[in-house]
Amino acid sequence: MTKVLGVSIPRIDAPSKVRGTRKYPTDFNMPGQLYGKVVWAAQPHARVVRIDTSAAAALPGVVRVITAQDVPVNEYSIGGSNDQRVFIPAGDKVRWLGDRIALVVAETEAIAEEACRLVRVDYEVLPVVDDPRTAMQPGAPLVQEWRESNILCEMHIHKGDIAAGFAEADVIVEGTYITPYVEHVYTQPDAGIGYIDEQGRVTIIDSGQWAHDDVHQIAHLLDLPTDQVHEIIPAVGGAFGGREDMHIQHLLAVAAFVTRRPVKITFTREEVTTRTGKRHPFYMTYRHGAKSDGTLVAVEAHCVADAGAYASTTIPVLNNAASFMAGPYRVPHAKVDVFGVLTNNAVTMAMRGFGATQPPVGYEAQMTKLAETLGMDPVEIRLKNLLRPGDLTITGNPMHEGLGLWESCREAALAAGWREEGGRWYAPDLGQPSAPWKRRGIGLACSYKNVGYSFGFDDKSTATVDLILDEGGNIAGATIRCGATDVGEGVQTVLVQFAAEALDIPPERVRFALVDTAAVPNAGSVSASRHTYMSGNAVVRACQAALAERDRALREETGERLVSATVTYHGRSARPTTGWSSDPTGRGQCDPHIGYGGGTQIALVEVDTETGEVEILKMWAAHNVGQAVNPEMIIGQINGGIHMGVGYALTEEYVQVQGVPRTRRLSEYQIPTIWDMPREIVPIILEIPDPTGPYGAIGIGEMTTLGTAPAILAAIHDAVGVWIDRLPATAERVYLAMKSMQKTVVTVHPSGQSAQP
Amino acid sequence: MPLLTCIVNGQEQIIDIAPGEMLANVLRDKLDLTGTKICCGEGECGACTVLVDGVAVDSCIYPAMKVQGRHVQTIEGLRQDGELHAIQQAFIDQAAAQCGYCTPGMIMAAKALLDENPHPTRQDVERGISGNLCRCTGYLQIVDAILLAAERTQDVGQVFQPAAGQTGMSTPRTVEVV
Repeated sequence: MTKVLGVSIPRIDAPSKVRGTRKYPTDFNMPGQLYGKVVWAAQPHARVVRIDTSAAAALPGVVRVITAQDVPVNEYSIGGSNDQRVFIPAGDKVRWLGDRIALVVAETEAIAEEACRLVRVDYEVLPVVDDPRTAMQPGAPLVQEWRESNILCEMHIHKGDIAAGFAEADVIVEGTYITPYVEHVYTQPDAGIGYIDEQGRVTIIDSGQWAHDDVHQIAHLLDLPTDQVHEIIPAVGGAFGGREDMHIQHLLAVAAFVTRRPVKITFTREEVTTRTGKRHPFYMTYRHGAKSDGTLVAVEAHCVADAGAYASTTIPVLNNAASFMAGPYRVPHAKVDVFGVLTNNAVTMAMRGFGATQPPVGYEAQMTKLAETLGMDPVEIRLKNLLRPGDLTITGNPMHEGLGLWESCREAALAAGWREEGGRWYAPDLGQPSAPWKRRGIGLACSYKNVGYSFGFDDKSTATVDLILDEGGNIAGATIRCGATDVGEGVQTVLVQFAAEALDIPPERVRFALVDTAAVPNAGSVSASRHTYMSGNAVVRACQAALAERDRALREETGERLVSATVTYHGRSARPTTGWSSDPTGRGQCDPHIGYGGGTQIALVEVDTETGEVEILKMWAAHNVGQAVNPEMIIGQINGGIHMGVGYALTEEYVQVQGVPRTRRLSEYQIPTIWDMPREIVPIILEIPDPTGPYGAIGIGEMTTLGTAPAILAAIHDAVGVWIDRLPATAERVYLAMKSMQKTVVTVHPSGQSAQP
Repeated sequence: MPLLTCIVNGQEQIIDIAPGEMLANVLRDKLDLTGTKICCGEGECGACTVLVDGVAVDSCIYPAMKVQGRHVQTIEGLRQDGELHAIQQAFIDQAAAQCGYCTPGMIMAAKALLDENPHPTRQDVERGISGNLCRCTGYLQIVDAILLAAERTQDVGQVFQPAAGQTGMSTPRTVEVV
């Protein structure tokens, strides 16, 4: 038996990536290709009175100026709301700066760019709605005029009796937390080429997260059968949720469909930053009640999320957010209210965590504030309340086997130097700061999220495994065909390892076929940390079915040298999920998630009391993966997740003023460099199996970013006494908080009485 | 169209370029050397890093005319006789590439660093890649890879490495750059 699982084999695409030979969408060129450039909305909210393309069309070298009338069915969206237009026609409204008026197609990119400036658009400017908290009030100008209100969606959970819960509490802690708009900053700008292939199909080569769904959306807007649309995803330079919606796919398809020639489009960094979707900002208000021994009795959470101008995936993002709002704790009495509100800000969409990234900024600060109020150690209060298998969540479903959160908290704390004595926990000595004007602090955060699509959605992945047999019937090689896109996280290497294990052959003999919708089956999107679990289950089962085929061929002596099997794995086969509608009482009691993954992160920081600068000295990250498939790649996910969390905590904020961005490029929107990273990260990989995962494995991709920011915020508090409840905790914010001596925003209500500590 | 003459990955090239064209675009569009990536287009991220006479530059904001008569090395020129350069191999071994888009620029920045300082400390390496952005890895495995490459190549000769000023070409001609 070859040992394959738990071995850090090199990624299957590493050699081509280090040689520079790996082709990304922008590296493809075709003879006779044209170039496309977008005429974007010039106003965040305005009625389009008139569009005049004549001057642009007359410019020598311009082949076509494509507008709304060229698109057979001018509507699309992920998830079926179809509330977006490919191009906004005269008479309609632009609702944010990412709306498009036209696509200029020309012989060169420079000509296309010049022609864009010649497209004249007359606007009647409308009032901009830029704060969801006011946009949700009656009478606010409507972003989508066919709706009665800007409230796109609302979710409500009631568990137990919230008033009775708070009446039982010995202490109550309140807090308000604001998280910002965040840009994905995948390094490869959206780009690609659209053409008509040799079979007459509209074909696009580009980057995406779910090729089969892109094809579905494009077929709808071009009014073509889905087999007449064809997408190839060669390599993806990062995604993080940012490529789940179509940003360029539909433009490439329309351009090829209209001109019948290859058309290349490459977005600039400024276009990627200002014209594509972002992570939802949350405005959260929390109220936590606990007994004097630290037992949580009640959590009340209210959240308003900025949905931007279109629905995108806001509803599923906020469904998840609602279910995670109280954190991974046993809460007998809970009340959660979540609202998604349309504005003229940037569209908000999937981003690493999918609604599970924002809540821990609130609920983990609350837990630490509770611990402090009670004079308890922050580890102790968490270990006392963390969900363990069988415990009921706030949606009333029992927690699954294989969460591993309690274990992660204990392991991380011990690794970071906490001591346990007689059931009490004691924080480590942090040593001396590097300068007299600096202060050290340590903080921790637990967090969790779903694996797979939730709330009753039929999550499934299909994989085909082909076995090439030698004369003796041994497996000479195997090919996995599965539409699981590798966006950098390494899922295709993981699936190769699963196949090698299931087939008992070395991983070098397993190939992973190019993601091409005409050649590989639909595996669902690369999102929800789902492919290791979902496509892993599909691949392992397809391997088992292919082995049975091989045995049949040998038994029947058919002489077949190629056998094949296809399996569709449904998440519901092991764990059926249900949505809000399954609770007729409207209390939001349901069983929303297929699987869960969680972890604990601890940050040791040093805060400069003269400047407010925060330096992260060290982090510990304990995450359960069920079964470690490729430990080096898991460490890569931990380090990368922490990178994104450090940016979230300290520097990253996509700033808009009246719907107009102020952070338009990488010199203005700052992601962490190596200097901003913790000097050391201690990864702690737990293997508490999920019995329904392939070999017990569950996803890890998103979980690694959830705990970073709340751990850093708690560490800042531990160091200098201030709570920064609005991200990012820039040096300026930390400095001003210290200066105004906002020592704490904790409000304590002993026996129901309000008092400032 | 101005004519640009330079040596790219050891081969002399005479290229028609547009006035004001940036080196990254010339390499990618005229020479099909697409291993050099463009990410930010403003010299912020280092994805487009190439070596000009051994010095790392952001080729997306580096006017192509500035390489007249000089040596340019790109990621495609790093292998020698089909063998991976030690940095490339170390990036594979340390899982230092994820999406891979920043990887060629990282590797070229590392090459410039190790050519200048074959025995770098961890801090030296951090300084060497501090101008290169990566959104996937958190950088730590990249730093490990560069340190590993340095360790492995301590006594081994490096691949193609012209000293500054010794470009192997006649004196650079003066060409108007508009």
